[in-house]
Amino acid sequence: MAPRQAGDSAVEVGGVEVAAPVSRAALEDRLRDIQSITDAALSRLDDRDLLAELLERTRAVLLADTAAVLLLDFSSGHLIATAAAGLEEEVRQGVRIPVGRGFAGRIAAEHKPVILDHVDHSTVLNPILWAKGIRALMGVPLIAGGKVIGVLHVGSLTPREFTSEDLELLQLAADRAATAVASLTAQEDRVAAEALQRSLLPSTLPVAGGAEMSVRYVPGEGRVGGDWYDVFTLPSGQLCIVIGDVTGSGLPAAVIMGRMRSALRAYALETADPAEVLARLDAKMQHFEPGALATVLYAVFDPGLDRVRICSAGHYPPVIASPGRPAEQADVPPGLLIGAVPGVRRRVVTVGISPGTLLCFYTDGLIERRDQRIDHGLARLCRAVKAEPPDTACVTVMGALVGSEPVPDDIALLIFRRQP
Amino acid sequence: MTAEGGELRWMGEQAVVTVPAEIDTINAGEVRQALLAASHDATVLIIDMSGTTFCDSAGVQAIIDTYNQAAATHTQLRLVATAVLRILTLVGVDQLIPIYPTLEAALAGTPAAAASTRDPDDPE
Repeated sequence: MAPRQAGDSAVEVGGVEVAAPVSRAALEDRLRDIQSITDAALSRLDDRDLLAELLERTRAVLLADTAAVLLLDFSSGHLIATAAAGLEEEVRQGVRIPVGRGFAGRIAAEHKPVILDHVDHSTVLNPILWAKGIRALMGVPLIAGGKVIGVLHVGSLTPREFTSEDLELLQLAADRAATAVASLTAQEDRVAAEALQRSLLPSTLPVAGGAEMSVRYVPGEGRVGGDWYDVFTLPSGQLCIVIGDVTGSGLPAAVIMGRMRSALRAYALETADPAEVLARLDAKMQHFEPGALATVLYAVFDPGLDRVRICSAGHYPPVIASPGRPAEQADVPPGLLIGAVPGVRRRVVTVGISPGTLLCFYTDGLIERRDQRIDHGLARLCRAVKAEPPDTACVTVMGALVGSEPVPDDIALLIFRRQP
Repeated sequence: MTAEGGELRWMGEQAVVTVPAEIDTINAGEVRQALLAASHDATVLIIDMSGTTFCDSAGVQAIIDTYNQAAATHTQLRLVATAVLRILTLVGVDQLIPIYPTLEAALAGTPAAAASTRDPDDPE
């Protein structure tokens, strides 16, 4: 039997279609049902508990035997069983349904409800459903921000024809579930991105003889992005400073940032040439993270800190200040971003450092403002940077460039000074 | 043709896409689509950023993606930029795509082989 589409479920009595009698009691029942699903008390639960409670209530209200939510995994294009009532094995066995196939897959692909009066292997892909003895199924898409993010379905162990009223109630529950899921996903991503970022940014900077350093990291508008810095020493005694910015924000950017950081450290051990380190990093990114873009600046200081070799892949050059002299942008040749095109030649500049000289490394969030030209932000930065102790310099720079404004984009700031 | 990501005009065989004044995460996807569609159809595509005052890394990504598609379809790319010239130079876009100060210069910037007898200002 072909699955019915939503909306054609008038009640049939002896072959004659009649409108279902609407009694006062039936109306009250229905209101109570709706109340049960939209209950404000649900909001007090955290999102994960809300989903479980909502499935229980949906099952009860619809007199169904099973209720389940499958969420779309965007990277694989599969629906993954995430929460269930009366059908817990679906979640425990990690059921995955490709979008477009089977009952749930069709709902996700067509963005439309589907009702199945007969469940067997020809209509339902997931063997758990028909092995369990489910006879009828009704499912709706979960939609958030105009996109399908999953599927909610209920099942009956006895033969049943779901009605349009049943469908409306299920749709109501789906709207509620979609809101909870979207909020849950956003929360989890934010927490994970922040944890990842915290674990990757060095909390204590390595001690290198004669080098003083101080850092600041501020997430943009409370949202972590792909900015990062790294400081490490090599077996040769060279001190290395890395600062970079992965395009995008949130968890995806933080994950790529973490991979780049590890890869760069590994290549730094292999070769002393900063351009070669960035070339290898670029090749690695082109192959394993196609489509990702990042700016990176890599600086390698001689063990005696007399000079630094710098290579930039699309990143702002550091601002350099010597005692008693105005600060200026270091003359670093621009280089193409990491991840843009294969086989780019990169140039290295060597900068001499006298005692007391300070280098200020930063990401674009520090100087870019929508209503101002970049030159303006750069000039402000150069005016703020002085050859003072790095802790003081960080305070001065953040005070001058950020002040009490909300920060639209991430800011990473790393200040190095050679001891005077 | 006007779209949110950019306005497409044809100057002979040269397509000119004028992109928005501000390009960021919000509209970079539309800019990318407008550029990719135009680069698919054109032999020469001029990305007109002369009116663009802000372009963040998402905007740069749209340009790089266009460059990579254009390289595959042998579409010649040119760029017009003033206010965002500094950021484009910083990230090395000028090493991939020639950047001109005005649209006129970009339209005239055709290498000899590609120069046709067609008037570049001819809207047809």
